[in-house]
Amino acid sequence: METPPKKWRYGINRWIILFLVILNIFFVYYVYYPVLPHIQLPAENVSEMPLFGNFYLTNTMVATIIADVILILIAFSVSRAVRSGELIPRGIAGAIEAILEVINNLTESTAGKWAKSIFPFFATITLLVLIVNWMELIPGVDSIGRLEHSDHGYPIEEVIPGSNIYTILSERDAGEHDAHDGGYGLVPFVRVASTDLNFTVALALISVLMTQVIGVRALGATYFTKFINVGGIFKRPVFGVIDFGVGILELVSEFSKLLSFSFRLFGNIFAGSVLLFVIGTLIPVFVQSMFLGLEFFVGLIQAVVFGMLTMVFMAQATQGHGEHHDEEHAEEAAA
Amino acid sequence: MEVAAAKLIGAGLAMVGTIGAGIGIGMLVNGAVQGIARNPDASGDVQTNMILGIAFTEAVAIYCLVVALLILFVG
Repeated sequence: METPPKKWRYGINRWIILFLVILNIFFVYYVYYPVLPHIQLPAENVSEMPLFGNFYLTNTMVATIIADVILILIAFSVSRAVRSGELIPRGIAGAIEAILEVINNLTESTAGKWAKSIFPFFATITLLVLIVNWMELIPGVDSIGRLEHSDHGYPIEEVIPGSNIYTILSERDAGEHDAHDGGYGLVPFVRVASTDLNFTVALALISVLMTQVIGVRALGATYFTKFINVGGIFKRPVFGVIDFGVGILELVSEFSKLLSFSFRLFGNIFAGSVLLFVIGTLIPVFVQSMFLGLEFFVGLIQAVVFGMLTMVFMAQATQGHGEHHDEEHAEEAAA
Repeated sequence: MEVAAAKLIGAGLAMVGTIGAGIGIGMLVNGAVQGIARNPDASGDVQTNMILGIAFTEAVAIYCLVVALLILFVG
């Protein structure tokens, strides 16, 4: 029953890749050279007209909506596969089942009986952040958009005459096209949502607030004695005061969780996209592919870390201080 | 011109803070790998805790990065 070792064959894929590499080199050196985009923190407006009132649709919102649509489509296809009655899921359904099983096992081993109410947050946050982060790798994101007048812009040129599709020229290609009207900058239609602080702060707020909700559901009002611990002040003067101080520190750490959640995701992905821009303009051939591989892993790790930290904090919130000590003593007694 | 130069120097100085995070992550992974080598059965738990610890440590470096990016690209 041994499967024979696979023969080394010359498949067609490597020729396609070689062709693409040669096309890349040809394109960069003979047609258009890439341009370093103007990097800015706040998200740009997709259209010059507001949707209503003072509300603009920004390009990170477009990315979030696309990610939501992808998630909903995946959910529909998985639910269809589950309802079809086949015991062995195939395709996307199988992949999703594998991911969810790993997440579920991790949650159950950490949170115990509260796994059922913590698992949805872990899974939702991980999947959403994963899809949003991986959008960074798709060509066209961050590079297709509308033109806007700007002071530090570049000259433009029509790609095919009469098609009303323009490309931005680099200094090398500009040559005789001097910037007679100030030049243009690009406002992309889709920009990775994690490079907008609004997205990451919203996720961090959901995560930290629901941690408190789950803590209250698990422990009732005694959950708040974790923060304002006055119980022991009069019984044990010295250690009671220390406990009170520790409670205040716990309160501060809840707020610092907000900061670290939002800045971790934002910093990693924003720095990653700036890295891709700069590498793409410095060495436009082949090297960027390796950094795309790096960003693939950074996006995956950040998504898993965001979800896992949420899960761990929620699991900690369900365990009271006293209960924990009692368990330890019981284990010692049993040993 | 002086403001632009000061911005660049400031962003570079802000990233000095990542030295600590680098040392911290090195020590953390050192401990985790030694733990896994001595007790390979516990590798799953050790890896989970190691990634959590790295995430916490890395957050400090990311603060530096965010400060540097703010200096460079805002205002």
